[in-house]
Amino acid sequence: MRTAIAQYYPAESVLHRRDPRVKFVAVAAIAVALFTRDAFAALAVYGVAALVALIVSHVPLRWYWRGLRPVLWLIGLTFVAQLFFVPGPALARLGPLKVSSRGLELATYLSLRLIVLVLVGSLLTLTTSPISLTDAIAWLGRPLRRLRLPTEEIALMMTIALRFIPTLLVEAETITRAQRARGAVFDRGGPLRRARALLPLLVPLFVVSFRRADELALAMEARCYRPGAPRTRMHPLQARPSDWALLALVAAVIVLAWLV
Amino acid sequence: MSGIEDERAIVRPMEIACEGVSFSYEEGDRGVQALSDVSFSLSAGATVALLGPTGSGKSTLLQVIRGLSTPDAGVVRLDGLSPGEPGYAERQRQVGIVFQTPEMQLFAMTCLDDVSFGPQQLGWEDAAVRAAAEEALERVGLPVSVFGNRHPYSLSGGEQRRLALAGVLAMRPRVLLLDEPFVSLDPAARRDLVGIVRALAADGVGLVLATHDVDQAWALCEERLVLDHGHLVSAGAWRFDQDGEADLLAHHLAVPFLVRLWQRLGRSLDTLPREADQAATALASGGRRA
Repeated sequence: MRTAIAQYYPAESVLHRRDPRVKFVAVAAIAVALFTRDAFAALAVYGVAALVALIVSHVPLRWYWRGLRPVLWLIGLTFVAQLFFVPGPALARLGPLKVSSRGLELATYLSLRLIVLVLVGSLLTLTTSPISLTDAIAWLGRPLRRLRLPTEEIALMMTIALRFIPTLLVEAETITRAQRARGAVFDRGGPLRRARALLPLLVPLFVVSFRRADELALAMEARCYRPGAPRTRMHPLQARPSDWALLALVAAVIVLAWLV
Repeated sequence: MSGIEDERAIVRPMEIACEGVSFSYEEGDRGVQALSDVSFSLSAGATVALLGPTGSGKSTLLQVIRGLSTPDAGVVRLDGLSPGEPGYAERQRQVGIVFQTPEMQLFAMTCLDDVSFGPQQLGWEDAAVRAAAEEALERVGLPVSVFGNRHPYSLSGGEQRRLALAGVLAMRPRVLLLDEPFVSLDPAARRDLVGIVRALAADGVGLVLATHDVDQAWALCEERLVLDHGHLVSAGAWRFDQDGEADLLAHHLAVPFLVRLWQRLGRSLDTLPREADQAATALASGGRRA
């Protein structure tokens, strides 16, 4: 029962091999473009493009499903809200609630758009390792260095944070079990009681995290890490013609979605 | 709460039996078979070493016995009862489990509060909670008068581990499942903890000690279970004939040092020493047997 937010699926595919900066820009562009036009035809274009990308990504489809699962409630909520609360001539009635054809249309459209958005986001994280993703973000954030923003350091922090999420999850699981063996109950009572019940989990988790952060900082210093020092990369980012081709393709999709 | 009073007097040992226990979990994209058809039974009050290399399923087995993980197949019987039968849940609570590096679970502001957590969750009366916590702290050599109001994180590593053990003992377990309890303790802390565990066993608390430290296991436990890749390789009393040794050596384990010493000295395996003192006494009294 693991949810897959920002999970990477290592595989060999055209998408995995693309420059992470290009993938990031492409996905960001589509995410924005998705909201620039409300038309089923445009959505269909993005949907088909996403499906093709899903297939060529060589990632098992159920991994996309796992990414989608945690946001299903949000999509469901959007659907229901639109379905019942958009005014218009009634199409059907359910007690005091009525469904208008406009409501049905909007509900379907907005839910589908969210699904496409999540799928496109999953495409990026599933085909790009966290390290290259942060590399890409660091590179794209370079202009911000002029504003004295420590983009390299922020990128490194993100890499480390991502690296430790699974470790922390395992630790949280272990501590939960240990406290349950001592009689702790995490899922009963009102919100206040529940929050209090979390203390036996959160306190140890924080202590462990701080201790680990301390050790990691020392270990990095011992390996000569200095913030702000100019660094070289083991895998320099390099955009190839195929990367530019992907960018062109995405641009074409967006233009097509505008024209249909 | 009727059972508390008589439980305080003496520990009634508990029988544990695993029958065809299998357990698997999902890791990333693949399923991991952590336990495959594991069957054994432990008599009441037995001291048993659960031996196996890292990743052999020892921790999982302890958690299954305690009921923290539900097996895919098979049952864990406690005192002959099956899950769901009246009295089973009660017995599950009487199985104390001490996780690896248990000091990582300490969370309260004082040692006394932390140790009281378990009994409080069980809904005991304040006086009973206090009595159980004090007794448990005493048992692990952290008397409440000295340590009761101290912050758990102000204690040394060895003291923290003992405090975590007290947190489990306060619930008055009849069986104690210990997961690598001696790992990363300095020799003095280790000696203290060994003494505490030994005293508990002498009082009739059953002991299941998961470890790959065969010397410690040999010193503390009458029986051993050997686990590898989730399969039970061997169970019952220690054996050091050819098959018994193979059970250890073929599974990334070792023959205990004192046993090897006795073998090399050509001494009878009927009088194997459990500890250095015993060995020294036996050697000093001479009488080299053929």
